[in-house]
Amino acid sequence: MRNPLIKRVPRELKSDWHKYLVIIIFMVIMIGLISGMYVGHDGMIAAIDESRESLNLEDGSFELSKPASSEFLNDLSTGQKADVRSYYIDKGTKEADERVAEEIEKRLREEVTKAIEDGVRAQCEAYGITDEATVKEQTDKAVKENFENAIREARETEEFKKASEDAYKEAHETVVKTVDEEWGEAVERYNLNDESFSPVAVSITSNYFRDEAEDYDLDGKEDATVRVFKSDSKIDMASFNKGRAPESPDEIAIDRMHADNVGVEIGDTIRLGEKEFRVVGLLSYINYLTLHQSNTDLMFDAFGFDTAMVTPEAFDTLTSRIHYSYAYKYAVKPADKIEAADASNSFLKALITQTLVYDNEIKDYLPEYLRQASNFARSDIEGDTTGASILCYILIGVIAFIFAITISNTIDKEALVIGTLRASGYSKRELIVHYMTMPVIVTLLGATIGNALGYTAFERLAVSLYYDSYSLPECSPVWSTAALIKTTLIPLVLMFFINLAVIMKKLQLSPLRFLRHDLKRTKRTKARRIPAWSFLKRFRLRILFQNMPNYAVLIFGVIFVELMLCFAFGLPDSLDHYAETAEDMMFAPYQYMLMDNKDDDGNVITTSEATAERFDVKTLLYPKGKSSFREGMGSGGDESVTVYGISEGSSYITLGENAKDGGAFVSSAFAKKFGLKTGDKFELHEEYENKSYDFEVAGQVDYDGGIALFLDEGSFKNVFNKKADDFSGFFSRNEITDIDEQMIATVITKDDVLKVTNQLNHSMGGLMDIFKYFLIVLAAALIYLLAKIIIEKNEKSISMTKILGFSNGEIGSLYIIPTAAIVVLFSLIAFVAGYFLMMWIFKIFMMQMDGYFAFFMSPGSMVLSVLYLLIGYVFVSIVDFIRIKKIPLDVALKDME
Amino acid sequence: MNEEFLVIKDLKKSFGKGEAKQDVLRGMDFTVKKGEFCVLLGPSGSGKSTLLNIIGGIDTPDEGFVSINGDKLEDMDEKQLTVYRRKHLGYVFQMYNLIPNLNVKENIEVGAYLSDHPLDVEEVLTTLGLQEHKYKYPNQLSGGQQQRVSIGRAVVKNPDILMCDEPTGALDYKTSKEILSLIEDCNKKFNTTVIMVTHNEAIKYMADHVIKLRDGIVRHNDINEKTIPAADLEW
Repeated sequence: MRNPLIKRVPRELKSDWHKYLVIIIFMVIMIGLISGMYVGHDGMIAAIDESRESLNLEDGSFELSKPASSEFLNDLSTGQKADVRSYYIDKGTKEADERVAEEIEKRLREEVTKAIEDGVRAQCEAYGITDEATVKEQTDKAVKENFENAIREARETEEFKKASEDAYKEAHETVVKTVDEEWGEAVERYNLNDESFSPVAVSITSNYFRDEAEDYDLDGKEDATVRVFKSDSKIDMASFNKGRAPESPDEIAIDRMHADNVGVEIGDTIRLGEKEFRVVGLLSYINYLTLHQSNTDLMFDAFGFDTAMVTPEAFDTLTSRIHYSYAYKYAVKPADKIEAADASNSFLKALITQTLVYDNEIKDYLPEYLRQASNFARSDIEGDTTGASILCYILIGVIAFIFAITISNTIDKEALVIGTLRASGYSKRELIVHYMTMPVIVTLLGATIGNALGYTAFERLAVSLYYDSYSLPECSPVWSTAALIKTTLIPLVLMFFINLAVIMKKLQLSPLRFLRHDLKRTKRTKARRIPAWSFLKRFRLRILFQNMPNYAVLIFGVIFVELMLCFAFGLPDSLDHYAETAEDMMFAPYQYMLMDNKDDDGNVITTSEATAERFDVKTLLYPKGKSSFREGMGSGGDESVTVYGISEGSSYITLGENAKDGGAFVSSAFAKKFGLKTGDKFELHEEYENKSYDFEVAGQVDYDGGIALFLDEGSFKNVFNKKADDFSGFFSRNEITDIDEQMIATVITKDDVLKVTNQLNHSMGGLMDIFKYFLIVLAAALIYLLAKIIIEKNEKSISMTKILGFSNGEIGSLYIIPTAAIVVLFSLIAFVAGYFLMMWIFKIFMMQMDGYFAFFMSPGSMVLSVLYLLIGYVFVSIVDFIRIKKIPLDVALKDME
Repeated sequence: MNEEFLVIKDLKKSFGKGEAKQDVLRGMDFTVKKGEFCVLLGPSGSGKSTLLNIIGGIDTPDEGFVSINGDKLEDMDEKQLTVYRRKHLGYVFQMYNLIPNLNVKENIEVGAYLSDHPLDVEEVLTTLGLQEHKYKYPNQLSGGQQQRVSIGRAVVKNPDILMCDEPTGALDYKTSKEILSLIEDCNKKFNTTVIMVTHNEAIKYMADHVIKLRDGIVRHNDINEKTIPAADLEW
């Protein structure tokens, strides 16, 4: 015979359907979203990983200042370091030989000429010729007639041969000595004698590109920078989300995400520089899944940056300078990131030395595993799912506690029945199983529906969320074991054990205690003393004390909701705050970074712009010294610090008085992110060289736009061993028009600073609003579930007070006001807790990223975040009041239902 | 008839400590035979419910012992006590303690589920006059009907002992007599030993064995040679 108690379950579900509906809806939404995120995530990761193979993603790339010769590429692909010492000695010897030969020839000619002249003068003297003009005539004549023979004879002499030999020997020795000195330094700098070095063979493919100005609305103004690649590239290829690759010189395919953001569609015409192209395809380059223009960008920028593909013929007709970029792939694929880092270090040594030997220059080097544009999306997707599932578990934990309290309340209510059943012979286990059935069924129901939605509606939602931000290849849902475990097993286990613990504890009591309705574990010998307030106040206070356990669960729920509200309000606020202060974050309206301080003819670059001011800049690394839970994309390692050399009396940046004495000033963002104070000492080091520099914080520069260090121009040149006329660029109040564009590396304007906020606003703005409303509902539902318990617990008392003649309003105030007071108090406490928790989470998050972005919440938002929660509560109070009104009078008179 | 089916020996039980200590049972001795209808009679505070709880294995004595069919309850652990209650006992309380969201038939099935050899549920429903109400929920029934269900839940197990704690305490005269008749029927029909706690003196006339308690001790331990059927009782 089946346990007849099981029949209670569907009836319980039916009779209390609104409560269970609220719980199930929450579980469905949370589990569905998490499941959707996991399924979408696994689908996207699978699509990315597959595309990495099929689209031939590089293992790294480097850019040179000029095209590499095939010999250079051949030597480099062996992965061997070049023999730089021999190269320099050969080169030095050759130069020395030329110079020695020149010198010997010069000296020989002088000596021979002098010998002939001396001979002629002696003869003239012997003949008594004293007239200087005659003597000069005679000597010139003799030199002319005998010079060649005399030179030939002199060359044959032993004396000459020995002198020449000595000169060459000395010169060669000097060359070797100088090269050895310099070489020693280079070896140390690049750690070239690293014994663990083993050559890493690579295949190298050229992947030249140009950064063109893009005008997508044909208004004659530059709207974005577009990185143009050739359509015949066999590495770092693109997948087409729509349309096709360009086939004629007037066709172009551009990034899908950028096109989507700026409203360009297939068939539209856009202008690159002076040339117009018809868009025939929307693509996603496998090495630009996120549109990071530079690897050090804090955020990708799908508005202001674009990638594009044109035919090789069209590429040749473009005018901006070519970036001689080369992609390499290892012959043997590194197994993991550690091996990839080792391989990259070895290859870098080969690259540095071979580039020197082949008289080229490295402009950029980036191993793929550190490449933000190809790794950011993948790790962001992973990070998001982790974050979301933690939130999911917190919520399920809260729901489990609500459940446990509900059940505990039911057990209280059914004490007599339980006592009778136990007295009749029902075992504890049977009753535990009985009371566990409901939470398990509800969780299973929530998990099943949630998972079903996870593979359908929510998967698309999650995917579209990422497709709105990233240029991802097409993907389809894949079976996700992780999703099943995390969205079904873990919630089930959480729900199971939390409820089991509460129910077991509750059913520990003897049958007799249940029959006597004596369920309090600790008996208060005396009632709590309450001040002599009015009767109603004391009554409320009693209700408050009675419901302490419910309130304990409530505070966790409310903190959870407030934390989320702080996020929902704080993120857009922080973005707006950043945007508002963006202008302050600019040293100057225009900041020009030059390719070099001299033009091709060797002349120092100047400008007639009156407001232009030179500055020096250098990028170094600050050791974070903290491990990162987000890997790769340049975020796990050290923080990139921009070191500026500022002219004396700069009209753009004011440094403190001790700047001239070598004082180093940190940007306020730098100080805040790493907690630096005046007097603190720290070390910055070079990225590709084994060189480090020590600094002491002399003060702060109020600049939140980036992690920067400011030095006086003189100190900068001194510290970094720069020449007096070296500089990196100009600050300017007005646009500089008289510098050759080829010489300008980048121009930073307010729009560049704003691209971070624009991108984040675009990706998350709408979502945040939905999130806020979702949180109101969540808050209301949590409070509803707990308030319901309080009313249910007091049904008899409420009924009795009604019989005694209390009005519904009075009863409402008795039972609602204590909870209302608690909710208001908790909202405030929870806001403070949530706010500081969010600040802390934000800081941890920032430590994983390069750059700095302060968490900010406007006073209005602070008030709103509490208000939203209270709005949720007002709805609950109304429902509660209706519920109180509906409690019939006879509840108190009936011992049994 | 087994002479010593239920043995109560020197049973003592007190509540509280120190000055507040209250001796509820102060050494009780009596035996009940198998199939006997035994009434524990006494005013409130005489210890009759405590005694019933100890016999039912849901409370423990401080001294003395209870043995049923030779098995001492004090030798049983909690699990064995549960099995003991499950196999041998049926309980009827003054408050019917029915499960509100199970109907009449299902409430009786709650008892049947526990037994290895339960009575037929339909038959019990008929015996108790509950056939027409079997699909009703407890809150649709009168007090007397609810107590019938509670008796049904206890007897359907076909227990060796039916423990009744003031089964008519909350009922009117007429309904009380109906309920007593039902218990009497069960006793006769199934040879179930009945131990009924009551403070109603009139009920003693229907019992085979009347034990009067006062201040925690047995004052009278009488065997009725002639019993009066419940239907004929007057009070």
